[in-house]
Amino acid sequence: MSYKRSRANYEADLTAQQSPYVVFGTPLPPVDPDVRDDGSYVPLWKQEVRDERGRKRFHGAFTGGFSAGYFNTVGSKEGWTPSTFVSSRTNRHKDDANAAKMRAEDFMDEEDLADAEESRRIQTATAFAGLGSTQNDASRTANLMGLFRPDGDTMGAKLLKKMGWKEGQGIGPKVRRKARLELREDMADKTSSFLFAPENVPMIKFSRKTDHKGLGYAGHSRLAPIGLSSKSVTAENSDEDEDQDGSGGFGRPKFSLSVGRKKEKEKTRGGIGMGTLNDTGSDDEDPYEIGPRISYNRVIGGDNKKKKKATTTINPALKSKPTFIPRKTGLAKVALGVRKCHDGRLPLEGFIWGKEDDPLISTINCEGKYPPPKIPTDWESSRRSKPETAAEVFVSTADAAKASTLDPKARAALLGEKQLPGKSVFDFMSAASRERLAAVTGRTDLPPARGEVPAGFALSEAERLQELISRVPKLDKESAVAALARDTGSGAPYADNDVKRSRYRAYLEHQAGFRKEFPAKPPHLNNDEWLREFGEFFNCARIFKPMTGFMASRFTTSSGTKTNSGSNGAVNDQDLVSRPPLKPKDPAEEAAKLGMYGPMTRSVAEFYPTRLLCKRLGVKAPAFVQPEEGGASGNPKKSDDSSQFGGFGNAMAARQGHLGLDFGSVASSEATMPTEATSAQGQRDDVLKLAAPPVEVVDSTRNKALESARAADAVFKAIFGDSDDDDED
Amino acid sequence: MPDFPQRPIAQLLGSNGPVHAVTYSASPSAYVLTGSADRSIRLYNPSSTSAPPTSNSITPPATPAIPKPIPQARLIQSYSAHGYDVLSLSVASSNSTFLSAGGDRAVFVWDVATAQTIRRLGGIPPHSHTGRINTVTFAGVDDSLALSGGIDCTVRIWDLRSQGHKPVMVLDGAKDAVTSIVAGRETGGEIIVGSVDGRVRGYDARMGRCVTDVIGASVTSLCLSRDGKTVLVGGLDSKMRLMDRRDGACLRKYEDEGWRNEELRVQSLLGGRERWVVAGDEMAGEGGEGRVWAWGLLTGKVVAKVSVPWGPAGEGRKRVIGKDGKEKEKKNVVSCIDWKDGGFGDQFCVGGTSGVATVFGE
Repeated sequence: MSYKRSRANYEADLTAQQSPYVVFGTPLPPVDPDVRDDGSYVPLWKQEVRDERGRKRFHGAFTGGFSAGYFNTVGSKEGWTPSTFVSSRTNRHKDDANAAKMRAEDFMDEEDLADAEESRRIQTATAFAGLGSTQNDASRTANLMGLFRPDGDTMGAKLLKKMGWKEGQGIGPKVRRKARLELREDMADKTSSFLFAPENVPMIKFSRKTDHKGLGYAGHSRLAPIGLSSKSVTAENSDEDEDQDGSGGFGRPKFSLSVGRKKEKEKTRGGIGMGTLNDTGSDDEDPYEIGPRISYNRVIGGDNKKKKKATTTINPALKSKPTFIPRKTGLAKVALGVRKCHDGRLPLEGFIWGKEDDPLISTINCEGKYPPPKIPTDWESSRRSKPETAAEVFVSTADAAKASTLDPKARAALLGEKQLPGKSVFDFMSAASRERLAAVTGRTDLPPARGEVPAGFALSEAERLQELISRVPKLDKESAVAALARDTGSGAPYADNDVKRSRYRAYLEHQAGFRKEFPAKPPHLNNDEWLREFGEFFNCARIFKPMTGFMASRFTTSSGTKTNSGSNGAVNDQDLVSRPPLKPKDPAEEAAKLGMYGPMTRSVAEFYPTRLLCKRLGVKAPAFVQPEEGGASGNPKKSDDSSQFGGFGNAMAARQGHLGLDFGSVASSEATMPTEATSAQGQRDDVLKLAAPPVEVVDSTRNKALESARAADAVFKAIFGDSDDDDED
Repeated sequence: MPDFPQRPIAQLLGSNGPVHAVTYSASPSAYVLTGSADRSIRLYNPSSTSAPPTSNSITPPATPAIPKPIPQARLIQSYSAHGYDVLSLSVASSNSTFLSAGGDRAVFVWDVATAQTIRRLGGIPPHSHTGRINTVTFAGVDDSLALSGGIDCTVRIWDLRSQGHKPVMVLDGAKDAVTSIVAGRETGGEIIVGSVDGRVRGYDARMGRCVTDVIGASVTSLCLSRDGKTVLVGGLDSKMRLMDRRDGACLRKYEDEGWRNEELRVQSLLGGRERWVVAGDEMAGEGGEGRVWAWGLLTGKVVAKVSVPWGPAGEGRKRVIGKDGKEKEKKNVVSCIDWKDGGFGDQFCVGGTSGVATVFGE
């Protein structure tokens, strides 16, 4: 026995558990802080308006105010500035790949978002319902092509509509007839007629007879749609199934006292015994309700014993009474009606077995019995597409041209053009140009360059020479004269190449106007080399361009090389290259290089040994010794050429001695060091001008400065004032 | 006039690298010191020789001119404290100490007997050489000074009597590395310094003056004559010059087409009681053999050309593979030389890149 509480007990329990003090009325549900929207009373000051996402809706002092951003303004705390503002001066915003991008959704409120979401949902058109769907199986199983039935009009329908056709009308010219107004037949004017579209002629459909039903009988569509829940179907229509899968349709409609009778009634259309009475429009009325409760069997010979179905459940919640289906019969039914797969299982849900044609039908429809009409042999469709082969392999014009083996001449012949004179560009091209072209294109099969000149443009030899001469750089006369003047010296340009030098001179003479005819082209040079050489001459001679008066007064030459030699100065081509001025060489080095060891290579400086050194060396210390305390760093002062006590005269004498050396050696050393010689020459001139009278013969092997002048002793004494006797080790 | 000694009488083996310095001991000149690139100094007795082992009796084909193997001199002592190559040696006249210097910026004063360094001059940075020391020599009364010149362009004069770590004096007149110093008793208080800047500077302490003679080419070797009036200057222009100390004149030049000295420090000296000018050679003879040339001092003509053989087979002739993968031809450059001044007979000792010092005699 199941225990069931009485109502009183139930209420008592409820009261005791939840609201023990409520004695009158319905108690409020328990106060649970977690349950927010339970309908419990919340005082007004505690109420908050929140949107569906749980965000607080209203801000500000008054809770019913604006739903605004920042203090009821449209701005933000930072003011009306987009928070993602980035200066694009240095940081181009569009270049930034992961920059924060504002989407349209950022500016939408919930409503807009919902709209957008709704519009975004993609739904498969019902006409294209997927393969797995079992919604329209009943219609789909008939023809697989139903799967691909397109939505919308066919092309023919579209065309027709364009021509004025409307759905429901027939096709053809309009028909004049009377209007059919069935509703107000009496009131209609019988005589008047109108133009109407013709009647729609129903389509004659030839469909294969694939079943055993009688001719013209389409059956009824009442058979349980697969979409229904199978449980209810099996439970409720267990009796009907048997006649349905047979030759059903001949029995009477089945009526039962089942609860789903109303629904069922709609499906029983088409059975025998159902007539216009069904079309009353009222679903509630059952035409057979009042009559004796007869149930018709739609199957001839079917047993009636299962018709008794006075099955009403006590529990109205149950739609139908659960019936026990013994396993045996269930399996048998499965074995009979439902085909199993080869592994003994039912097909997967959503799949059904395909239908095999009835052998009878298939023999009727077998091939050859009713062959399709034969197409006349000479018939040709006007719609036939062009052969695909041409379009398949697309060949561009360039490719086609490449494939062609014709050369321009052959093409010209094909086109019937007149042949051009048999010259190509290369025939007029010089060899150098062809080389350049070959280098650029990297092709080695270019035709040889002939360097021909068209007859109209051919130059005579004289003209060509004239043209070449016109390209020789022009040197102004002053420069040419100046350069010519320099050219006589020993260090002239191209001193090593007499032939070239003579050409250089000839060029200068021509430019200076001394020589009328242009110098002849040397045989071993071609035109380009000749021109290049003239350019070189030009650059060489341009150096000597005399300065104009104003500029000349402003500048002075740095060395005597160019100024002191108006006519006999030497210019060697090394001067053309600008190089840092040579350091004045040590004359002693030069003397040593010449092997003139002796006074020239010897110089004497003071040396201040420490006293200890002298002592250790066993020598008497000189009068001037280095103080002992700095012994570690004791070193002679920077050794100068001029002795500290030698005085100016000594230095001058030494200098003159050096000069004397140079003077004496100019003749011999000119070849090796011309610049030295000339500079020394220049200096010598100055010295000689300054001290003109004493033209003394300088002996290079003796150095008076050194040999005569240790004039020091007296000077030492005068300076240091003490005698050598005072010095002790 | 006796002939130039050309017969190799002993080979001084044991060095594991080129020999940079050879020197005879003082007055009897009975011993030879060699300073080597293997950072050690070896003391040999060239007069007490032992026959070479029989395994070495096979004459190497490269030296067919030598009829029989050269005897090996006895190695008496080896001195090792240097951390770098030993580049210069100088033996005190008392034969009790000697100086050595090299890459380690300090001059070592050795006790010959104990093979220990008595002092190390320099080594404390502000007063020491800042680079390699090329040359070192005794100077002064009773060898009381040590002179060292190095690549830092200075000559430092050290007092051996006091224990101070500071040099007595630093001569920094040179504009380039100092390669040779002569400060013998003959000079009488003058220190002659040869430098790479092509100058020979004579620091005369007595007169208090420094005489600079310009040679031109870099000076690699100096040798003073006994009377102190001339000095032999070897330069990197393949010439040696006998210079007059008095006025700096060049008394004679010694050169030959076959003799070359342009890159390396090749020592040259006046040998055989100043009859000859003897020098090593950068060029090698056939088979990479070293050569020693001798000129007559007065004539300036080549007197002798002595071939310096390689050591015994397997000694000093390491195969060197160059960067191009081929075996480099190794030359025996005779870079150092010393003449036996004391004792009887003309004898000299040469050392070079073969790592074997060879003693030549009559």
